[in-house]
Amino acid sequence: MKHHRIRVSEFGWGEGAFSSSLKRRLLHPKCFAIRLLPQREGWSAARLGGLMQRFLSGLRDGVGFDILLISIAMLFLIAMAGLPLVYNVLMSFQQVDMFTLGSFIRPFAGIQNYIDVVRQPEFWLVTRNTAVFVFFSMAGQFVLGFALALFFAQKFPGAATIRGLFLVSWVMPGLVVGAIWSWILAGDFGVLNAILKSLGIIQSNIFWKSDPSVSIWAVIIANIWLGLAFNMLLLSVGLAGISRDLYEAAELDGANAFQRFWTITLPMMRSTIGAVLSLGLIGTLQQFDLFPAITEGGPANTSTVAQYWSWQMSFQLYDFAKGATISVMMLVLVLFASIIYVRSTRHEVRG
Amino acid sequence: MKLHFAALMAAASIGAMSLATPAFAQVTLKIWSIDGVDRPGIADTWSKEFDEANEDIVVEYRAVPFDELVNETLRAFATGNAPDIVSFDNPDFAMFSSRGAMLDITDRVKNSEILSKAQYFEGPLNSVTWDGKLYGIPKYTDTIGVFYNKDLFAKAGITEPPQTWDEFAADAEKLTDSAAGVYGATFSARAGEEGTFQFLPIIQMSGGGYDHVNTEGAAQVLDLWKKMIDNGWASKDVLSLGQWDSTGTFNSGNAAMAVSGPWEVDRMIEDAKFDWGVTLLPTITEGGDRSSALGGFDWGIMSTTKHPDEAFRALEFFSSKDGTMFEDFGNLPARADIALPASGDAHKDAALKVFQEQLKYAQPRGPHPEWQKISKAIYDAMQAALTGQMSSKDALDQAQASIDTILGK
Amino acid sequence: MTRPYVPWLLLAVALALAAVYLFPLYWMYITSLKSGSEIFANPPTFWPREADPSVYGAVWSRRTMSTFLWNSTLIAAGVTAITVIFGTGCAYVLARYRNVWVDVGLFAILMLQVLPASVMVTPLFVAFNQFGLLNYPRTAVVLAAAAKAMPFFVVLVRATFMTVPRELEEAALVDGNSRMGAFFSIVLPLARNGILVCAILTFMSSFGEYIYSKSIIQDPSLQPASVGLSGFLGPNSTDWNSIMAYSAIYVTPILAVFVLLQRRIVSGLTSGALK
Repeated sequence: MKHHRIRVSEFGWGEGAFSSSLKRRLLHPKCFAIRLLPQREGWSAARLGGLMQRFLSGLRDGVGFDILLISIAMLFLIAMAGLPLVYNVLMSFQQVDMFTLGSFIRPFAGIQNYIDVVRQPEFWLVTRNTAVFVFFSMAGQFVLGFALALFFAQKFPGAATIRGLFLVSWVMPGLVVGAIWSWILAGDFGVLNAILKSLGIIQSNIFWKSDPSVSIWAVIIANIWLGLAFNMLLLSVGLAGISRDLYEAAELDGANAFQRFWTITLPMMRSTIGAVLSLGLIGTLQQFDLFPAITEGGPANTSTVAQYWSWQMSFQLYDFAKGATISVMMLVLVLFASIIYVRSTRHEVRG
Repeated sequence: MKLHFAALMAAASIGAMSLATPAFAQVTLKIWSIDGVDRPGIADTWSKEFDEANEDIVVEYRAVPFDELVNETLRAFATGNAPDIVSFDNPDFAMFSSRGAMLDITDRVKNSEILSKAQYFEGPLNSVTWDGKLYGIPKYTDTIGVFYNKDLFAKAGITEPPQTWDEFAADAEKLTDSAAGVYGATFSARAGEEGTFQFLPIIQMSGGGYDHVNTEGAAQVLDLWKKMIDNGWASKDVLSLGQWDSTGTFNSGNAAMAVSGPWEVDRMIEDAKFDWGVTLLPTITEGGDRSSALGGFDWGIMSTTKHPDEAFRALEFFSSKDGTMFEDFGNLPARADIALPASGDAHKDAALKVFQEQLKYAQPRGPHPEWQKISKAIYDAMQAALTGQMSSKDALDQAQASIDTILGK
Repeated sequence: MTRPYVPWLLLAVALALAAVYLFPLYWMYITSLKSGSEIFANPPTFWPREADPSVYGAVWSRRTMSTFLWNSTLIAAGVTAITVIFGTGCAYVLARYRNVWVDVGLFAILMLQVLPASVMVTPLFVAFNQFGLLNYPRTAVVLAAAAKAMPFFVVLVRATFMTVPRELEEAALVDGNSRMGAFFSIVLPLARNGILVCAILTFMSSFGEYIYSKSIIQDPSLQPASVGLSGFLGPNSTDWNSIMAYSAIYVTPILAVFVLLQRRIVSGLTSGALK
């Protein structure tokens, strides 16, 4: 691999290298073809064979190759994820019962399901809980994950090995994590209270799962633990991608650690942060296993969030239309996540 | 020549086919239940026995986790993959029977030599009845009472277990020893079916029912429960503990009384390092109306079955085994005509006697096709009151309003 | 950084952080060894009074764990294979261009993840039933779960492709390679590390796949370990120390593999594609 590295530095960031490569790229016929739409040509039987040939060779060697690669994946995703999405969106405008669960055509209900969902007495509570859960889960995961990533970017013996241990929560199934945290957070026989008490931080037990003012935090704590691995890993990758030279230059200029972080680390990691936050938001919105295991949304719905509510509507109360309606409402939030991510990729630097 | 050859082939293949099938046609019955996931249970054992006892029937048994049973069945039903026989928790049964998803077996039971409606307790029978027709038979039943730690009672100088909820709260206060980590009482007021299971009996004994929840008596008892939690006579975690875990704290000596059912007995015999007893669920006033929860599962045949006769034979077979159910699996048959044999364990036999007495007062949840929504309204109200977010009365009034909407009043 | 004690201080801090982070794991092992009523003891015990490891043997044989774990492995391997095969090419294309169609593609990939698996399973079940895929339930689960794993993989692998200098690919094209040839002989080998690591991460997270498996796979001999776990949660009983023992058996092998591989995983990702 050594010679590659040499060549990379040859093609480095210099202005001259860039423009010369650009020129060559534009002049090269294969690359040139990519940037133009196929020209319109007369349609004749004689051409058909040639067209076929060109089509095949295009798949192998041209823009067709790109379209082939991406369309396989997209078709697969549309079938496996797009279809269910359409099904749910349709269902949110329909009346559904157990007999019509298996079909697409059902009595039309207009926006009645949406009105019904908003009129539920717990609607605003759930909205607030969802906002709290998403914001603080993500903030906790991100800040702690970033801190850990920065910490393990230091040089000390065993750094890589110990950092590896922090990926454990990535491997743990949500079901198991929920069961374990449910025990740790129990009020009387839970070990978290025992530890906090022996450290003198609290005087009397906190009923994490049963006190309406903290129940949502019980799930947030567990979720931060669960998401830490993902955040730390991705942010570590981003950190490692920043050239040491930049830091050394900044240090020579007399920038302190905080300034270096602010002027180099953050801007250079913009696209990584975009990916982490948007995938994190989607992951948080899909976090479900912890709720039935820890609080079941209680007490009195104080820890019910949209995804759990949607599940509860569909699979505990068997009101499939309302369940689908809530999941479609969550679409707005994921829309937001997708926009963050796509925008963040604008600032990417190609190696 | 060619033609002959083809005819020969056809004859040979018909011969081979008839050889492959046994002398009589076999019928395949699909049976679903929650039993047998972890250890042998009623449905898996009996399904196997029924399969072995009947040459003409093959049983395909599937154990489905408890939380998934209704969803799996709904999904299978909607896509034409439904089982022939399924065993539901009793409040879930009405959702299927009211929509015609279960086979009406009224006449079959009438003509049966093995089954009769009269042999079952009224409560369980109600849960399989819809609109005057019979859609299934009870599988087993259970209920709840109060377990109490006799050693702790003696230490606190209490001689008799509580008879009313007032006494229950007063005893809980005396029994509480927070320095030793002992609560006076524990129960399950969880945000789920278990919460409703334990609270609905209070509504019923105050003269209400699932369609009338905002009674004065229910609000009083709810206030008492709140007082116990606020004063530390019961753990705040009763709001999130299920019955099994709540009773776990009783077994470890951290609670002096526990509201739960007969399924706890075997574990208690093993784990509890103290003398214990069971008493009936308290009443609201001295000598007042009694009630208790009605648990347990039902058998039913799905209306989509292609083999109703064979499926009904299976139900008859299952019911003929009711006599050994308690001995083999520890579940109580939902029948008045079966005497349970003594187990030889004094604790167990005494507990059983109380629970059989308690069963006489057990009242069903529903039956209603939208029971789960009614149940949520009830446990939401209970939790809102117990956490002090609403007064007991306001919470129950709100639940009543939700229930009225569900019932279409 | 001439003070020699600093690295050791950092090591001490790192170990302390790891201890806090790994505590839930410790609690899983310790709870599995406690007796039924000791689990509920107040205050909790940090070390079991009488450790009872027999629960492991009991759970192993009672729950046919070897079958469950084998199925989990098969499903995770299938998900990983599909994700890598479909996702790699997709990530490559999305890294190669910078135009509005790439934006649309990235946007679509994320938007298709809007629904939690629990609400996707019913329509998928209906569709699989139509196509007869329910007769091959593990394959069906692999297809469904791969669609869930894909966006994560694409986003990460796309980042890896971004680190492959474009000039190398173009040089290969100038040298007379076809696009396909350049992809397989130049770009793919350079991104190999990143792809491998993302594949391992995909494998590990799909090892715990639960929601699709529990609905689609009805035959217990084909179910993965996650579905077996839910069997402990009965209507009136929950066998907590068995659950913890089961969880321990379930996650320990994958943790072991992970600890063995983790140096490669972390360094593979953090060092980028070229070093």
